[in-house]
Amino acid sequence: MATARRSYGLQTPGTRGVEGTKRYSMVIDLRKCIGCMSCATACKAEYGVPLGVWRTWVKVGDKGRYPNTRRIFMPRLCNHCDYPVCVRNCPTQATFKHKDGFVLQRYNRCIGCRTCMVACPYNARHLLPAKRTDKNLPNMVVDKCTFCFHRVKKGLVPACVQACVGGARIFGDMNDPNSEVAKLAAKERMTVLKPELGTSPAVSYIGSDWEIMDEPHSYTNRTTQLRREFNAYKRNHKGDTFSDIVEGESTMLQITEHFFGFMGSIPHKLSQVLKSFGTFIFG
Amino acid sequence: MEDSVITFNVFHHVAWGTSISIYFWLVGASAGSFVISSFGWVFNIKRYKQLALTASLTAIFMLLLVPILLIWDLGKPVRFIYLLLPSYWHATGPMSWGTVLILTYPMAMIVYTIFVMLKNEFWARTLGIIAIVLALSTHWYTGVVMELNPGRFLNHTALAPLLFLTGAFISGIGLLILILWVQNMIVSAAKRIDWKLIEEMAQYMMYGIIFDAFLLFLEFLQSIYGSSNAVLGHEAVLMGVFRFPYLWMEIIIGLIIPFFILVTPLKKRRLVLVAAAYMVCFGVYGMRIWWVMGGQYLQTFY
Repeated sequence: MATARRSYGLQTPGTRGVEGTKRYSMVIDLRKCIGCMSCATACKAEYGVPLGVWRTWVKVGDKGRYPNTRRIFMPRLCNHCDYPVCVRNCPTQATFKHKDGFVLQRYNRCIGCRTCMVACPYNARHLLPAKRTDKNLPNMVVDKCTFCFHRVKKGLVPACVQACVGGARIFGDMNDPNSEVAKLAAKERMTVLKPELGTSPAVSYIGSDWEIMDEPHSYTNRTTQLRREFNAYKRNHKGDTFSDIVEGESTMLQITEHFFGFMGSIPHKLSQVLKSFGTFIFG
Repeated sequence: MEDSVITFNVFHHVAWGTSISIYFWLVGASAGSFVISSFGWVFNIKRYKQLALTASLTAIFMLLLVPILLIWDLGKPVRFIYLLLPSYWHATGPMSWGTVLILTYPMAMIVYTIFVMLKNEFWARTLGIIAIVLALSTHWYTGVVMELNPGRFLNHTALAPLLFLTGAFISGIGLLILILWVQNMIVSAAKRIDWKLIEEMAQYMMYGIIFDAFLLFLEFLQSIYGSSNAVLGHEAVLMGVFRFPYLWMEIIIGLIIPFFILVTPLKKRRLVLVAAAYMVCFGVYGMRIWWVMGGQYLQTFY
């Protein structure tokens, strides 16, 4: 299907199917996925992704009625969109789209405004926590999957692809007709997440179920356990940065609590700022 | 249809929260107050000149609170400076437009206020025109900054800037009525603002309430006749988790009760009129809450 090539700010125009360009893409064959989470573990190991945030993860669902049931999976990661909303909305050029299709983040430019997190329709971005074991690692800036840019440039595949035991994740240049992904794209029926948004994702799925891809379904058809876990997570990860609402508890009380949490954090943040100025001036 | 349930997913956060919703309210109230201030000096409605200074000072004060909320909401507060550096400027980012507007609007407003104090008709008018364009643009920006995210179906509506500007207009008037009521109690009889003028402003507020209710009705129709996302957004978010800010704060306390007060003889009672003004301000803040946090809520489960 021909799509008009658009470009906003730091986006390079869409490159899928354009001769002389590369379009690194991932195909996830869900018929082969066994939900072992090796991909998420490999990613955590590759980048030291902190607790509570993920660059890639696997969503799990159960389908059917006993005894005819089946477990379904949906590995998720940044879609490295051809037309990424996060890139066009970033106010400081911290995120940009590489000519080969990678959507990348520059920590040194990121101010932690979280505009890109609001813009991303796929929840693919996260804010790195303030406290990290290694103080030299970036904190309080937005991070995301890079499609393992550093590995791909050395001729390797991304860590999640390398670790996938079922061979469900396949990576390559979609514009190269001899690549495995291009061959799969020519042969298999594939779909992408939220195609109606016009982002043209580089991550495609073979054999997906609509239930696990659908956003309203993810909300309405959660198990009670998942609902409880999410509420517990939100209750225990209240910070001054986010404003999560725990279901079943007073919304306005929580909003008031967020506000006081935010105001209460200002002296601490101020002391950090003064400390960094002090270090800058006095060494 | 077969049953299917989601049994595991990782958890995501609502990235923009309370501080951003308060910021949206403050900018709106500032813009609304400034519009009233401009009536006298820009649009030459002479009876409004007596409250121009109070209105513009209110607008300036509201806007001076904004940096506290915005800068300390950043992950890296010191890096707010990046927003001002040309080498970091990203023209397609709505926040970049907002940075320019939030910087220029108070400057124009302060210079305008100085000329109002000096009673310099020409420059007050000239600066007033510039400042009113900036005031409206600044609040327009708060509407579009979330609208331009196609994934946020509650926010992704072309009515967003209109909803914000109408909310700004009525909350600005509401806030000004409250301040003028307090001011009238403090100052000498000669310096008091004519209550008839305040009643006239309340009349404008009522027109704003009607238009705001109409826009909300359009949004409601759009939601319930919309995609499954939009329908769920209305049912589970607006009428569910965010029922209090949406239904109670915005619609009942912020629109219906003040409207009832303003179309009946109740408006002749000063305290009731002041209460109506307060309720409008409170209601508009309810809209800012569901707009910011409700718009992001559903996707955290995806």
